[in-house]
Amino acid sequence: MAGEFTLRVITPNRIVVDEPVESVQIPALDGSMGILPRHAPMVAALQAGVLRYRGRSGEQVLFVSEGFAEVRDNLLRVVSEAGETAGEIDEKRAREAEQRARERLAHKGEAATATEAFDQLRAEGALRRALMRLKVLEYGSRDRVRS
Amino acid sequence: MEMVSTTKLRRFQDRAVASRPYANEIAQLLGHMAGVMGDRLGERPLFRPGRGKQTAVLVVTSERGLCGAYNSNMFRVVETWLSKNPGKKPIFFVYGKKGFQYLSKRGFEIERFFVEPPLEKLDYRGAKFVASALREAFLSGRFDEVLVFYTAFESVARFVPTRVTLLPVGAGGPDARQGGARDSAKRSTGDVILEPDVETLLEKLVPRYLETRIYNALLESLTSEYASRRMSMKNATDAATDMQGVLKKQYNRKRQETITKELLDIVGGAEAVR
Repeated sequence: MAGEFTLRVITPNRIVVDEPVESVQIPALDGSMGILPRHAPMVAALQAGVLRYRGRSGEQVLFVSEGFAEVRDNLLRVVSEAGETAGEIDEKRAREAEQRARERLAHKGEAATATEAFDQLRAEGALRRALMRLKVLEYGSRDRVRS
Repeated sequence: MEMVSTTKLRRFQDRAVASRPYANEIAQLLGHMAGVMGDRLGERPLFRPGRGKQTAVLVVTSERGLCGAYNSNMFRVVETWLSKNPGKKPIFFVYGKKGFQYLSKRGFEIERFFVEPPLEKLDYRGAKFVASALREAFLSGRFDEVLVFYTAFESVARFVPTRVTLLPVGAGGPDARQGGARDSAKRSTGDVILEPDVETLLEKLVPRYLETRIYNALLESLTSEYASRRMSMKNATDAATDMQGVLKKQYNRKRQETITKELLDIVGGAEAVR
């Protein structure tokens, strides 16, 4: 391994993660992206998704919502509105959100007005966040079984 | 009441501190992107003054009274600004019942009165809501700029009503404080990979940036409110304690006087019988 770098996940409420890691996978806007130590300086937009990283205590997964990632001086800063570990995710709430979003999307066919299109977009975003949260949960429980 | 305010003050203060890294990071990134955009920045609608004649003004006040001069200080600053800029046509956006009462009583035009979520239960989503309402108002083209009047929290004994320009971005911020970050970003922009590209990043950053500024303004106002309330409650408690001391002394003196008088009566009576 080419050493370590620092991962810092920052949300409006707190700093979720701040620790040395070996590798990180971030949900960039056009696909998952791997970051290794001594990555070139970069700014990337993130979509809601799963962030995986390998730290000193093994592989971890995290849910992040839309945000940004910035690499500079061997420090990866992930700035996102939400950052939750598997233990923090409310499964019931995520499932309900999924249900709601699905219903909303099923009812509406073609969006006729701008507001409708906007609502649809929002429902899609909500659906994505819910699904990603559930995915993190799934990974989290799988990791527990393995270890 | 003083104790209640103290605990609440501490809670909001902690939250204000916790939100700072996020806000700084967003502001820094925005400065960074602005540096990359350079002169093209002026073409974006959120970065140039609006065509409208009116000015959108967000005023943050408290929901309840009993907080000293917190609200009246705010109104004074608003009034001063109004008298200095007679040409402006302000349309108000208000957070907090006190501000709504004050402004509507004086016949100002209030476009929107935010009640949900109540300031006390403020979270990031609430700030997001306010920010997008203001952004849409600005983009509608009715306003030339969007101002925010809030109370900046400097210390538990110092809170200053402040006016900042929210939109267009760049008029008031990324402000002087982030100027340094902007410069350093400019120097390093040449070799930074942007994923996917500047436009997309900027488009996503600006709303976040506005949200953090609103969130910060609301949180600081809330913290100031409780600091102010704590102070006025402390003054009230102190005044009441003093008054209690004075009254107690008065009461004891009167009581002693009566006892002495009665004693004298009895002694006098006994003397006379002998």
